[in-house]
Amino acid sequence: MAAEYDLTKDMIPFLDRHLVFPLLEFLEVKELYAVDDLLQAKYALFRNSNMADFILDLHKKINNTDETPKEIADKRQQVLAKMEQLQAQVQKVMEVLEKPEVISVLRQDKVQNLQTLKENYNFTEETIDILYEFGQFEFDCGSYGGAADMLYHFRVLSTNEERCLSATWGKMAAEILTGNWDVALEELQKLRETIDHKSGVAPLQQLQQRTWLIHWSLFIIFNHPKGRDSIIDMFFAPQYINTIQTSCPWVLRYLAAAVVTSKRRKAQMKELVKIIEQEAYEYRDPVTEFVEALFVRFDFDDAQKKLKECEKVLANDFFLNAIQEDFMESARQFISETYCRIHQKINIKDMTQTLNLNQEEGEKWIVNLIRDTRVDAKIDFEENTVIMNTPVTSVYQQVIERTKGLSFRSQVLSSAIKRRETQAASKETTA
Amino acid sequence: MSRFFRSVSDSESDSESSDNESFISDEELSSDEGEQSDEEQENQEEQPKKSRFLKGAETDSDEESDEEFGRKRQVKSALDKRLDEMNSSIKAIENGQKNNDWNLISTEFDKLTASVNKATSGFDAIPIPKFYIKTIVEIENMLQEAPKEKGGNKKKGGAAAKGLNNTKQKMRKITKQYEQLIAEYKKDPEAFMVEKEEKPEIPTPKKADTQKGAVGTATVDESELDGFTSVGKGGKTVVPITADNIFVKLREVMESRGKKNTDRDEQIGTLEKLIEAADTPFQKILVLLALIPSRFDTNLSMAEHMQTDVWKKVEAEVSLLLSIVEKEQQFVIREDADELDHDDKDIVPEKGQVINIRGSIISLVERLDDEFTKSLQSIDPHTTDYIDRLRDEPTLYAVLVRAQSYIEKHNMLENLPRIIIRRLDHLYYKPEQVIQSTETMAKSMLPDYITSNVITAEEPSQLIHQLCTYLYKQSASVLRTRAMLCHIYHYALHRHFHTARDMLLMSHLQDSIHQADISTQILYNRTVVQIGLCAFRDGLIKEAHACLQEIQGSGRVKELLAQGVQAQRYGQQTSPELEQLERQRQLPFHMHINLELLECVFLTCSMLLEIPAQAQAGPNNKRTISRPFRRLLDYNERQAFAGPPENTRDHIMSAAKALASGEWERARDYILAIKIWNLMPETQAIKDMLVSKIQEEGLRTYLFTYASYYSTLGLAQLATMFDLPVARVSAIVSKLIWNEELSASLDQVSQSVVLHRVEPSRLQVLSLQFAEKAANLVDQNERLLTTGRDRQ
Repeated sequence: MAAEYDLTKDMIPFLDRHLVFPLLEFLEVKELYAVDDLLQAKYALFRNSNMADFILDLHKKINNTDETPKEIADKRQQVLAKMEQLQAQVQKVMEVLEKPEVISVLRQDKVQNLQTLKENYNFTEETIDILYEFGQFEFDCGSYGGAADMLYHFRVLSTNEERCLSATWGKMAAEILTGNWDVALEELQKLRETIDHKSGVAPLQQLQQRTWLIHWSLFIIFNHPKGRDSIIDMFFAPQYINTIQTSCPWVLRYLAAAVVTSKRRKAQMKELVKIIEQEAYEYRDPVTEFVEALFVRFDFDDAQKKLKECEKVLANDFFLNAIQEDFMESARQFISETYCRIHQKINIKDMTQTLNLNQEEGEKWIVNLIRDTRVDAKIDFEENTVIMNTPVTSVYQQVIERTKGLSFRSQVLSSAIKRRETQAASKETTA
Repeated sequence: MSRFFRSVSDSESDSESSDNESFISDEELSSDEGEQSDEEQENQEEQPKKSRFLKGAETDSDEESDEEFGRKRQVKSALDKRLDEMNSSIKAIENGQKNNDWNLISTEFDKLTASVNKATSGFDAIPIPKFYIKTIVEIENMLQEAPKEKGGNKKKGGAAAKGLNNTKQKMRKITKQYEQLIAEYKKDPEAFMVEKEEKPEIPTPKKADTQKGAVGTATVDESELDGFTSVGKGGKTVVPITADNIFVKLREVMESRGKKNTDRDEQIGTLEKLIEAADTPFQKILVLLALIPSRFDTNLSMAEHMQTDVWKKVEAEVSLLLSIVEKEQQFVIREDADELDHDDKDIVPEKGQVINIRGSIISLVERLDDEFTKSLQSIDPHTTDYIDRLRDEPTLYAVLVRAQSYIEKHNMLENLPRIIIRRLDHLYYKPEQVIQSTETMAKSMLPDYITSNVITAEEPSQLIHQLCTYLYKQSASVLRTRAMLCHIYHYALHRHFHTARDMLLMSHLQDSIHQADISTQILYNRTVVQIGLCAFRDGLIKEAHACLQEIQGSGRVKELLAQGVQAQRYGQQTSPELEQLERQRQLPFHMHINLELLECVFLTCSMLLEIPAQAQAGPNNKRTISRPFRRLLDYNERQAFAGPPENTRDHIMSAAKALASGEWERARDYILAIKIWNLMPETQAIKDMLVSKIQEEGLRTYLFTYASYYSTLGLAQLATMFDLPVARVSAIVSKLIWNEELSASLDQVSQSVVLHRVEPSRLQVLSLQFAEKAANLVDQNERLLTTGRDRQ
């Protein structure tokens, strides 16, 4: 059952080899799959990488031998040789770059920087490309910190846009793997900007890049403290919602989880419900079904059941594992809040049942809920019920709400018209 | 005087017979009118052979035999006549040169060449007339100038350009033949002319004039005056067709094809005899390649369709042709092959040698298909004729499959998509079982060796998928679009709503469809409607309504779906040509989407959406979801006496009224009484779906309408009223509360709905309205600004 909802298979094609590794490690711990299979998978994953020692270990584990196969040994030699060679080259470049006088000369303008370097230090395009190559090489060896560093330097200097883009991808991966969530988030924003604003890219390619970005960003969402909020905004942008709908509906689970645990809710919840409803024929798992039960069918019993299933799914999910507690708590709040908003008078006993708590806990929970002023309610101890005070929005309030933004909007309009008039006037005079 | 004298007296030798025939074919062009007197002459000579003449000639001769005593025959030498002819041709050519009419030049030059050939061979041969050489040189010069004025030529269209090309080709041949003479002429035109002028004195066309006078019709074509025209009709049958002279005959027929006054039926008769006589594959192929197009030629008008029996013959012949080329793999029919010059001899290919014959299988098959569609368009679909005709479809489909396999085998990739789209056109609108049976029938009609590498699937939806994916890879966007639409249609027909919808949305066709050609637009409309019906079957009322609204809401359903000509509205005048075109676009009846069903589905969807929305918004709202539905309902309500419902529309209107007043059971009965649901597959499931929808919408309507009269409502009571489980009722009510559509809340303890509705005072209502209007104004201003920006 747990394996049924495991998304690793779906996600691997959209992740980097090194990013897959933590997923596999996690699966190993959870013992969802046979250990041997996972080892094989890991071996297959890294066979083409430069992490020769690691491959060797895996190989030994799989075959239960101590021998070193020739190809791996050869590979090791090659990697080391190449490493030395590249290191030597990079050394020179870095020496120059680390000189204080060079740093002081460097400015924002990349072209100019390159010009100065070319003139004074005998730099060429190739010298800079070495940084890129070495960065890639280091990343492939598993030395992510160094890779991030190299790629940073490369990006500052290079004018080659395409390479800069892939350097950004590389850097983001490296930061994710080293756990620098702040930097990774920054990189993510940068990448998003480049992808969204780059014109003349084939739609298919754009879709692909967005899919990658969505998957990579999952690492950041659930690890960065502010990740969830910013990621919700990103995923709800029309382009990304479309991407999710077309190429990776399973991401809806993470989106749903993020929305449920997020503190700013209602507007997004409505949107989420709409999308989950639309995509129900393509993707469903307990998390989306929970949302559906609660907000489409208003079936609180079913929502409760689904919530129990969610617990298991979350426990076995690499990304959601950490926020399991948080999710359960928030989901419960969602249920009770919805329940309270719809009902006027609730039997505490039933309520606690719905919340999957015992009587005393339930009472405490409701009191806490009332104290947090989430709902305006009172407990009638005699009848053992909660009585909600349903707020009736008065007509005056309605009128105020409807007219709230009007004057501001009109101002914006009039200024826009003025601006256009002056533009037209200036055009006329120039013409 | 004429050859007939000779043939009688000299007892013509066999060797000359071929000459004789080629000459007959020329005369076929001429009309009967101008040749009466000529016929007379021959009739005298040919009286004993009269029986061989075709009927037309026979009756003629009867009349004329009386006359002939009173008339004195004028005798003129054959040579003179020929020269007459040549002269007139030259004149015509000169005319043509002046007017730049290449068609005329081409035909006249043909005639001239033919008569020169005749004159310069045989017993009474004369030297090549110098004016002939002169004409050649003139035409040649003109040809060289022609390309310069190409711009002008283009406007004249295909006919002129064709004439020009024809002449060019002929000139190339002929100049080679008379190379020497032409060179001489070019060297010194005048000397050349003088030198030979003396001998062939051109006789004045005396006889021509008198004859014209006698008949009273001035005909353009001087060649009609040739003495032998009337043999034309009967002449063919005179010479028995043997395997040896097939090619000669065939050439004759081919040459006369498409010319004025050619009797097509007779040509077909000749060709039919030829095909009987033909015994080598090469002969058969050539004759068939001539016979099939001539059959198509018999039907010239675009509007009329080919007779069914003729069509069947053509179909058999196309199959025969295909089977021959399939067996005799050394013959390949290609469009891009060079004209084969076989000197009227049979070609037996050597081993390993491949002979390319010029022809186009694909266009024959396409034409066959078109004729089939045309006949279906014009046959009344409610007769058995239509069904009989429809029985031929599998045969046609088999031919398509066969042609596809042939084209594939010979790697004519540019034609493959054309045949595949035809195949798809025959399948896409059919349910799977029908596709399956069509496929099996076609398969049973074809020999086993017919296979395809491109299309291998057996299972119907797989088959459609393969056909479509093949077409997606083509570069022509029309094909891709059509394939996409057919594919979507197929999915929609088989209840894959989401797949169909996603495909349609991803194709972005809705953005560009208005630029497509009309038949593709029609296909698009059909597809959208089919998706709508599919959504309805799945119980997705909102989606179904959105899909159908576009077409059904326009009020021109028939026209948009090409399922009949819309009755003209007042003030709209269409020209007969437009009407004609529209009639050609009509789909055959068996492809139709039932319009009544469509309307019924649309109105039912509208009802289910509109009635609760109206109840919610109160009596005075102007916002409508479905305008056509609203109009019908208003009309229905205005009537003083409403009788029991008779047609589908009445039923739905009555149901709507019942639903609006909360009587869901009556609404259900009305809706279920509609007979047309039976046309839908899985009728019972659809009816069940409709009942549950009516229950839910009835509950919603009830709550909206009567909420203000209650302070509490028991959930259990609501559940019994609408025959729904309590859980379902509470879910619906919860949803209404959550979405703030209903100001109420649930009381869990007493299991009831507590309504909070407070009636606002007059001032409050007005102020709310005012606020809304102000918001609207700002909205519109903003919209105006943005659209204004777009315009700039």
